Amino acid sequence: MADECKRYDVAIVGSGVAGALIAKRLATRGKKVVILEAGAKIPPNINDYMERFYTATFKVPESPYTPALFSPADSTLLRDLADPSTVNAGRPTVLSLGKGKWNDPKKSYLIQGRKDGDQPFASTYERVAGGTCTHWLGTCLRFSVKDFKMKSVYGQFVDWPIGYKDLDVWYGQAERELGVAADVRDQAGLGIPYASGYAYPMPKIPESLVDQAVADALAKLTEAERAMLGMDDPKKPIRVISTPAARNSQPYGNRRACAGNTNCIPICPIQAKYDPTITLYDVLDTGNVEFIDRAVANEVVVGPNGRVSQINYIRYEKDFKEPGQTTRTGCVTATVYVIAANSIETPRLLLMSKIGDREGVVANSTGLVGKNLMDHPYYVAWALMPKDRPVYPYRGPLSTSGIEDLRDGKFRRERGAFRVDIGNEGWNFVVGGFGGDPNITTRDFVNGMNLSELNSKDITGLDRDNAALFGAELAKTLNDLIPRQIRLGFLVEQSPVSSNAVTLSDRSITDGLGLRRPQISYRLSEYTRNGIAHAKRMADLIFDKMGARQFTKIPDDAFRFDGEIDGKKVPLNYTGAGHVMGTYRMGSNAKDSVVDSFQRSWDHRNLFLVGSGTFPTTGTANPTLTIAALSLRTADKILREDLR
Amino acid sequence: MEEASMSDRLPEEQNPIVQNANIHVTITYTRRTLLAGAAAATAAATVGTVITTMPARAADPISTEDLSAFVTLSAALTGIQDKQLAPGFDRAPPGSDSIDIKRDYFRWVKEKRSVAFEKLLGIAKGNPKPAAQAIIEQVQADPESKYLARSIVLMWYLGAWYDPDDLKILAEPPASPPEVSHKVISAKAYTQGWVWRVAQAHPMGSSDMQFGYWQRKPNPERPDFFGGA
Repeated sequence: MADECKRYDVAIVGSGVAGALIAKRLATRGKKVVILEAGAKIPPNINDYMERFYTATFKVPESPYTPALFSPADSTLLRDLADPSTVNAGRPTVLSLGKGKWNDPKKSYLIQGRKDGDQPFASTYERVAGGTCTHWLGTCLRFSVKDFKMKSVYGQFVDWPIGYKDLDVWYGQAERELGVAADVRDQAGLGIPYASGYAYPMPKIPESLVDQAVADALAKLTEAERAMLGMDDPKKPIRVISTPAARNSQPYGNRRACAGNTNCIPICPIQAKYDPTITLYDVLDTGNVEFIDRAVANEVVVGPNGRVSQINYIRYEKDFKEPGQTTRTGCVTATVYVIAANSIETPRLLLMSKIGDREGVVANSTGLVGKNLMDHPYYVAWALMPKDRPVYPYRGPLSTSGIEDLRDGKFRRERGAFRVDIGNEGWNFVVGGFGGDPNITTRDFVNGMNLSELNSKDITGLDRDNAALFGAELAKTLNDLIPRQIRLGFLVEQSPVSSNAVTLSDRSITDGLGLRRPQISYRLSEYTRNGIAHAKRMADLIFDKMGARQFTKIPDDAFRFDGEIDGKKVPLNYTGAGHVMGTYRMGSNAKDSVVDSFQRSWDHRNLFLVGSGTFPTTGTANPTLTIAALSLRTADKILREDLR
Repeated sequence: MEEASMSDRLPEEQNPIVQNANIHVTITYTRRTLLAGAAAATAAATVGTVITTMPARAADPISTEDLSAFVTLSAALTGIQDKQLAPGFDRAPPGSDSIDIKRDYFRWVKEKRSVAFEKLLGIAKGNPKPAAQAIIEQVQADPESKYLARSIVLMWYLGAWYDPDDLKILAEPPASPPEVSHKVISAKAYTQGWVWRVAQAHPMGSSDMQFGYWQRKPNPERPDFFGGA
């Protein structure tokens, strides 16, 4: 069969940030590369994506992209969410996480909630050219030295097989590839040793008015409060600093500077924020790459010598399965194979593959494939600033700054660390879901409702609750309230737990191509829950220092759990950060890891499994920059050893 | 919003093609497009496409009297000055504005709720400005007018259609309310939503501003486009 497959130097599954960067490094050195992308190809321009976003009723991260979220596509009713068994290359979506949906296979692509006590895995991803970084925020923090050494420093989990020093140079290269704006001086004191004289490609993104208000509040913390929050040295201030981001602060890479469209997620209308389609254009320009879209890899074939000999795929035409649809099967063969299909689709592909008639054994002599699924569980809190102190949200990039000083500390022996992102989008995704506000608050005051909880007389100063307003009273009330909305998000370090795992669904549950879907078992550990409890404690304290009135709600749904703060039981919850990590961890030996530090499979030496699935621990930084650095390091290894 | 039209600025009344067929043949360029180059052009062209295609059918012409009543009604209900909702419309004869969302909205409401809409226009015609308060009081006299008036306000604020029947279900929920939703009228409508300007911001995904503006307070610090009542 291998004779019939087209031959390349490298076959890559997935065109997200990892696959695109590796393809670029190899193709610019003259290597022949094929990319199999499960979803649609790069569009000629982003007009269709923008049109879909502008007209979407639910402006969720997935809204600009394909496949359509609803069936029929123009429905705006949640009861018409597309049935994932009819979608040829499905994906989890924010809308499928709601009550009664996350654990319903007719609504949720991921099969969830099969075991008692299972909680929802709350992060989603894309299957389209460019991968999930089509809808990312752009945050590009480096991991700190200690993020790689949780076992040796804090006695928790495992150490990475490499440390900061091994990645430093690759971080720098990744920052140039993506185009990162930041100031090295801001990052001082975070345990991130930059090479002497290192400068980011662009100056930092300026802080927003919201950031400035949070900085003022942090300046009011007492030493005792800073100690309580977990600062190892409570004499040091807790700062708001501009977040390193792949967002142009000046023209870079033939792209213009950010114009503050406040829409990084789901799509920057001017591509001032990096997304992997930008790298894919470079890739295609080399003339050395074949890009096969709508091609779902369904089997990694291992030859008798233990090396991968080909990858099979199914090619489809329409996003949705039609009665009697015809699909074509194909295969590719290469010297080196790279699976860059994210931390859920990569283990799914490996688990679907066979050696002889044995399933679930490819790259899996340890049995670890699919295990230790992680995220940065995201605790969100929101509040209203005092009447005379608007912070003017819905302006600037979605987030310009964060609080990084609590990413590390002795507390990591007992509970998860976190970083804080400061929202510039008011209550946009906390009230009524993504794209919720200002719609929800506006509807409240036009139609005499109170979903936002702002329509009460003690807040508005009107003579009644649930006021339905017309005229200048309406305009003035909205002008008073919306500019005072503020939102904080806490990305919490999650412990690796082997029972948090991706497996395959029952054979009766499939996608439109008849392939078994990913099944997830997931719950938060005590370590992670305690991190969230401390996040709530910090949110409460910051809002208190701001004089802001908190509106954070913990709805009675599957994301809720009981936490403990100072011996008192408190309801807490979480959502997803979109950081899917950890299902094929790297390690220093073949017994307790799936890949080595170059992301090479211990079992099949011409197979590389890349992306955040190789992270042994989550650290406290958003994963993309580390994915990119590891990918460049892997490409270099392939060039030096495999394709000399 | 600081749009400039690259087309000629003839009022529609003087332009027989536009007036008779109601086909908009102009592409609208926003200030951002002009200033900011090719990448922005792709985004703005999305809106431009909708501008050219949405009214591209031989709809009934809208009389100046009806359109004027609609603008008066909308200004009273939204609290936004008529000359802001419909630039050029405070002149006689009225000028045209390059976005001209008012005609899209007029046709939309007329198609959805013809009879109740006539009644609302009648209220506006009977109350020449500046009688915003009188209009607000009269539209609330019966539930049909009241909920349609709310739909019209939400249309101007959010660029989306919340059906009056659905608003009634939400405001006065029956025992087991059905799922209701809303629909964004067009990409153009979304990017013209007034709530963003009331909030002293811009529609998410459609900013006319330039790098770094978010460090500074809006200018002017308070909106200057609120109307009477």
